[in-house]
Amino acid sequence: MKKRDKLLVKICVGTSCFVQGGADLLLYNDFLNPELLDRFEFEGCSCLEACKAVNDADVESKPPFVMINGKLHGNMNSDKLNKLLSDEI
Amino acid sequence: MNDIFIDVDYSQVYKHGQKIGGDVFLLSRNPDRNQIVAILSDGLGSGVKANVLASLTAHMAHNLSFSPMDLTHSAKIIMDTLPVCKERKISYSTFSIADIRYDNTAEKIIVNFLEYDNPPALFFQGPKNIPWTGETIDLQRKGAFKKELLHRQTFNLEIGDRLLMLSDGVTQSGLGLSMPLGWRIGGVNKFIERTLENNTEISSKSLTKAIVNKALNLDGFTSRDDITCSCIYVRKPRRTLIVTGPPFSKESDVILGEKIKAFNGKKIVSGGTTALIVSRLFDKKLKVDLTCWSSEVPPASNMEGITLVTEGMLTLSKVATHLEAKTPVYDLPNDPVKKFIEIIENSDQVHFIVGTKINEAHQDPNIPVEIGIRRTIIGRLRKALEDNYLKETSQEYL
Ligand code: FES
Repeated sequence: MKKRDKLLVKICVGTSCFVQGGADLLLYNDFLNPELLDRFEFEGCSCLEACKAVNDADVESKPPFVMINGKLHGNMNSDKLNKLLSDEI
Repeated sequence: MNDIFIDVDYSQVYKHGQKIGGDVFLLSRNPDRNQIVAILSDGLGSGVKANVLASLTAHMAHNLSFSPMDLTHSAKIIMDTLPVCKERKISYSTFSIADIRYDNTAEKIIVNFLEYDNPPALFFQGPKNIPWTGETIDLQRKGAFKKELLHRQTFNLEIGDRLLMLSDGVTQSGLGLSMPLGWRIGGVNKFIERTLENNTEISSKSLTKAIVNKALNLDGFTSRDDITCSCIYVRKPRRTLIVTGPPFSKESDVILGEKIKAFNGKKIVSGGTTALIVSRLFDKKLKVDLTCWSSEVPPASNMEGITLVTEGMLTLSKVATHLEAKTPVYDLPNDPVKKFIEIIENSDQVHFIVGTKINEAHQDPNIPVEIGIRRTIIGRLRKALEDNYLKETSQEYL
């Protein structure tokens, strides 16, 4: 598989996301299903601005944020990321 | 900020088996009066007694240098005051005093140099040794047990110049061992010339360390006297610029860009939004470096033209905490905080540009607080850098 065929996963490393769980997501090498690691390309990115529009009633609008193939996902954790990425392929 | 930096440092090992030295080096900077005084004193013998003599001498010389009194007269007072050794019936300690004064722009640096019975100080312009031409004064003190000759000289220091003061532990190293007559001043001189030729910009710390290590080596790694060497080195300051926080208005973004471009030295951008602004201004990609982070601070990013790009608040406050605690760099994990500290430890002057933009989301009550926090952290950083690391700092708001 060529590199550009891989879907891009951007993990936000902005301050808000990092302190609210983003730091754990950066250990994706350790917790992701090994097959997934080959299928996606991972990179860190600066604040996606999503943390400035948090809606208190909606947990999904809370940090940490991850962008998978251009789509924003909030309230991320390792299990959820595993699941979302598996669904993607 | 000054365009000249005077780097003064020293290295020392005590006589083998001694826990305290008979050589004392004393340095004080008095920026308010544009004066630096460096003193090297060697007390008779070694161990505690010698240390008392040398400390006493050094402190007296030090205090007298800050008085308007003439240095030669100060020297006389020192020698009259020293306690007399019971066994040898003499009071004796050698000393070298370098009293350095500069004007406000530090364009003219004048050294008043005085030496009594230490090995002759060495003066270098670049890697070249310049021989002394100073005057010799016979003190003719009453009650002196021997002829007392002071060497005195006044001269200018310019960029690239070095003045080295040594104790006789250096010149006599290797005596009767690897060298029948010891290393001697000529040997030391050659060694320094060679070192400077290989490394023209060597810091005072590294140069004096190299000399002391060499002397120790000649002594067969068992020093037979205290070995002390100090160096005064005039050079261009190494500078670091720290940019944090977005500027107050869009127009000032451009000014920020120009200031960063014009700055001559290392450049750190701290803060996600700020980094985005700079990346846009310079049209350079910002790439997060996932190899450099820790659980406490987010990863650094790479950008062409900027030495280090980090996250803002967490990183800055961690840096401040470590600078306040003087944590040694090698104790830190390999994260942006470590890189940050490494860069500023290797600079003489640190300039901060602090952005004051009130965020577009000004309905968010947290934002004004954030600016206050930024200001407090910068204050802590500057204080720690000045007090613990003797750096010059300055700051502007944009
Ligand atoms: S910090 Fe992640 S969206 Fe702002």
